[in-house]
Amino acid sequence: MPSLLRRAATAPTGETKQVSGDVVADALAPIPPYCDVIDAHVRDVIEQTGDAAQAIVEQLLKVDQLAEVMAGDVSQLAGTLTRTEHELTRVSSSNEELLGKLISYFLYRDHQIRALVDQMRELNQHVAQIEEVSRATNILALNAMIEAVRAGDAGEGFSVVADEVRKLAHRSAEAAQGIGSSIADLTAKLDAVLSDDSQFDRAEDVPEMNQDTAMTRRLGGIADAQREMSEMVGGVLKDTVSAADQVQRSSNALSVETTGAVGHIQFQDISRQMLEHVGHAVADVRRQAESTSAYAHGDLTEEALRQNSINVEDLRTQHVMSRQRATHAAQTGTKDAAGTEPLIELF
Amino acid sequence: MTTVMLVDDSATMLMSLKSILTKAGYQVETAGHGKEALEKLSKGVKPNLIISDVNMPQMDGITFAREARKAPGMRFTPILMLTTESEQTKRTEAKNAGATGWLVKPVGPEQLLGVIKQVLPGA
Repeated sequence: MPSLLRRAATAPTGETKQVSGDVVADALAPIPPYCDVIDAHVRDVIEQTGDAAQAIVEQLLKVDQLAEVMAGDVSQLAGTLTRTEHELTRVSSSNEELLGKLISYFLYRDHQIRALVDQMRELNQHVAQIEEVSRATNILALNAMIEAVRAGDAGEGFSVVADEVRKLAHRSAEAAQGIGSSIADLTAKLDAVLSDDSQFDRAEDVPEMNQDTAMTRRLGGIADAQREMSEMVGGVLKDTVSAADQVQRSSNALSVETTGAVGHIQFQDISRQMLEHVGHAVADVRRQAESTSAYAHGDLTEEALRQNSINVEDLRTQHVMSRQRATHAAQTGTKDAAGTEPLIELF
Repeated sequence: MTTVMLVDDSATMLMSLKSILTKAGYQVETAGHGKEALEKLSKGVKPNLIISDVNMPQMDGITFAREARKAPGMRFTPILMLTTESEQTKRTEAKNAGATGWLVKPVGPEQLLGVIKQVLPGA
């Protein structure tokens, strides 16, 4: 029975004004639905904040998991790199050892060949001796011929023998000269080979080492050891690259999750704007309460009170987000016109 | 390098969007409202793309889009509005002001980068 509330109010000016309980009731009537909508919006913000916080926590937990995986990957990579360093040090040391052996082997062979060349030079002395013997034999044969002539018929046979001896001496001298010449030629060539192997780099017809000799066996062994080391180094490097790739993948995944978490921070801006609207609505309620109070005290006319009265439908026009309009419709039981617009639209 | 200008009065938004775009390889210029963004454009900043909020102090995003179109060399630069607002009337207003597209917050990093690739195919 609001009409029973009608009473006379005394304004501060001393003037008495009529205050209607109906008008006060009308002025207070929109406040509960208004507050209901405000309350729903606040709950929206709370829910949205909770959802965003949960999404961020979930994202951060993924980041944490990935960070653990990545720490394991980095640890594995560090282990692989350490092994790689050890293996490379070992291989380097083995290479030096193999190279040392190779150099020693060639020095040894070089020394042997030089010794042979020296021995061949010594043969020249023997050739000279043979030549000397041939010359002496030739002279001896000539003397024998002279003595055979002097002996007359009795020395005829001896003369034949002396002639044959002279011929033998002559052939011996020729053979010795031939051998000497060959030895000189051979030693000259060997000296050239030992002092200059640059021809090897330019040679097109380098024979393959497919003959089973001491040298090919030795060099083959060294090549096998070198190949084995190369394969081992290749395997270690492959492991290293694989571990580095794994770290790269983990890092990329971590980056994606971190960026996702950063994206969820947009909730702060949305919540801020929703709370700003709530703040405006609360201010509306406060104004309405103050106006009603002013009317009750006779400081505001009924017309002014009704003119500035809040209306829950006016609140709808202030909503800019789909969620705000949907909440408003749900709370006031009106039709929701929102929710049909696309979230991303290119004009 | 492709430059993106971000215009938003929320420092949090600027920070998070800048982080996402920088990580994706874009150079980023920021402004706290439309007026500041216009000043940057007048001082020679030439972004390949502008992403602007709508509700901002001093100058709102739609007014900014309209004014930005008048700046030298900005006639065809894509301008995306990134806002919490979803009303069609506002979208139409933005479109008439010269905006290229309308994105409602929140937009995930992958969605945002996908839209950027759509409006900047060569970048």
